[in-house]
Amino acid sequence: MRSFFAIFTASFKYCWRSPVNVAVLTIFPIVIIFVLGNALSGYMSPDYDFETIAVAATAERDSELGAFLLGDEVGQFIAVQFTDENLALELLDSGEVSIIISENNGNVVVTRPQVAGLEAAIAASVIDSYVQINAAMQIATANLDNMAELAELLQIINADLSIEQAPLGNRVPGALDYYAVTMLVMILLFAGLNGLELFRKNIFSTTGERLLIAPVSKPVLIGGVLASATVSSYLQGMATFLFSWLVYGVYWGERIPLVLLTLFGVTLFSQALAIFVLLILGNANLAMGVMQAVIWTMTFVAGGYVKIDFGAAEKVFQFSPNSLAHTVIFGAVYGGNETKMAADLTLLFVYAAICFVGAFILGRRRLA
Amino acid sequence: MIISMKDIVKRYRALTALDHLSLNLHKGETLGLLGPNGAGKTTAIRVLTGLTNSDAGEIQVFGKKFSAASKRKIGVVPQDLAVYETLSAKENLEYFGRLYGVHGVELKRRSGEILDVLGLSDVAKKAPRKFSGGMKRRLNIGCAIMHRPELLILDEPTVGIDPQSRNHILDFVAEISRQGTTVLYTSHYMEEVERLCSRVCIMDAGQVIADGTVEEIAGKAIFEEVINLEVKEIGPSLPESIKKVQGVSRCEVSGGKLAVISRVGSGNIARILELAAPYTILRASAERATLEDAFLALTGKKLRDSGGEIA
Repeated sequence: MRSFFAIFTASFKYCWRSPVNVAVLTIFPIVIIFVLGNALSGYMSPDYDFETIAVAATAERDSELGAFLLGDEVGQFIAVQFTDENLALELLDSGEVSIIISENNGNVVVTRPQVAGLEAAIAASVIDSYVQINAAMQIATANLDNMAELAELLQIINADLSIEQAPLGNRVPGALDYYAVTMLVMILLFAGLNGLELFRKNIFSTTGERLLIAPVSKPVLIGGVLASATVSSYLQGMATFLFSWLVYGVYWGERIPLVLLTLFGVTLFSQALAIFVLLILGNANLAMGVMQAVIWTMTFVAGGYVKIDFGAAEKVFQFSPNSLAHTVIFGAVYGGNETKMAADLTLLFVYAAICFVGAFILGRRRLA
Repeated sequence: MIISMKDIVKRYRALTALDHLSLNLHKGETLGLLGPNGAGKTTAIRVLTGLTNSDAGEIQVFGKKFSAASKRKIGVVPQDLAVYETLSAKENLEYFGRLYGVHGVELKRRSGEILDVLGLSDVAKKAPRKFSGGMKRRLNIGCAIMHRPELLILDEPTVGIDPQSRNHILDFVAEISRQGTTVLYTSHYMEEVERLCSRVCIMDAGQVIADGTVEEIAGKAIFEEVINLEVKEIGPSLPESIKKVQGVSRCEVSGGKLAVISRVGSGNIARILELAAPYTILRASAERATLEDAFLALTGKKLRDSGGEIA
């Protein structure tokens, strides 16, 4: 046990006393979340600039809808071009307008192109708000003695409100909220590279050979380095977590212990994977390259950089360690399916355990 | 017997690094293992310390098969630096001490003692990344002796360092040896082995090709010596007369100097002096055969070259 703590302490100090290492461990993660969160915020930010959205309207200018579209409040979001139906369709086909707004028997109809973009969705939401305001006005001016009529009006409102459904509960993650999770998971996986460097120094270098000559058993040596690498990486994750929370104001929900447990699972998995890969390949540089490729790929298929629809492959990709961690953390923050979260968290720890066992078996053979 | 290696074979694919190597080391001895690059010295140490398995042969350390118990009695100074660059010198020493079971007050006392002896007390709290090459090498040795090993193995510990640090290390090893520690010392430098070792083994192509004291090996391997003469005026007949002496193979003239190559033990020094006496001898000397000459004679290679053949 004394040897274990000696190895743990020496590896820990070795890791945290290198200025380059400390910079990589602490500053890099914080910068990456900030840069990605801001660079990609256009995809998710509720503060999108609506002014330039062009729409076509076939309604009359002097109609009630026409008056609404020409109003000052709507005018700051959409630029309306009043035209006939044929020309409106041509404009929609050529992409010059995002949607066509028309009236049919008193109902407002929004026509979107086959592939609707973000601007079409926003313009449609503006029109939806008009429909809801109109309905609310009808309630306000209705004869409340007629309860059947009131119930009918409320039904209309509920139906309209269900057009846009907020993801996962009542709160929608902003860009930084999203990237804080996906990047933190990615960073903790990349922390496996830090672990790999510790394993290289302690096992696959001249210093490592000196340790192998010393009267220390292989499991104690591997365990000591592994524990040190895991604690170092988890501290790195915690620093990033706290920074994102306290400085960037990222929303981490109310189930912080569950979030932290998931992050610990990711840390454990990445370190175990690192030594497993190193012991299989027996070459630190090669292992470094393989680990990088694996982590970039796992992050990509889990939608860590940008959410991508992979179709049928999605069913397989949801078992990637990143996906499992994302499911549990987003579930913990925004309210997810408890059973799925428990299953995914368990699977993450099972992955780590498999790599651990594999590493110890390989370690005994390779370092014999 | 501290080390007994019998018929050790180690192959790396087509290369035979150790070819039926047999080597013994007795208690209290300081054995110098000499050989050019690729002779198999480092492989022999790796096999001896359990870092590499041999393909054939038998090894006994302290009279038993190599085990965890024997590890505690051995200190190894690797050829390359094997310390933590971001830990202080003291922390490095204490870390390796702990791994060998040195703890508490003894750990502190021992690390302080070694820092003093190795001349590193002033930089005890500094990280080795700021050290000179010589200081790093000294620390490298210090880490191997924290647990007072009975057998100290040093694999070319003075490569690439300044003469001052080298002297410091050689004095230190000599002192350890005097205190009774058995030492196995591999080196490229003849003068180090001549200075430190009571016995020398010369290795080439994975085999021991000569084993004995420095004098024994030089005596066995050297067949010629050089007799240098400086006379007032060399007449044309003197070199011719010397060449006719039995056992003289060459006589080279340069200015007023003669270099005579003669067989060792032929007693030719007296005869040559006698022949040169009429020409007024100003200076006379005979070059002593060195281990370097012996190595050259035995292997046909210069020791500090990468195995380069001598024409």
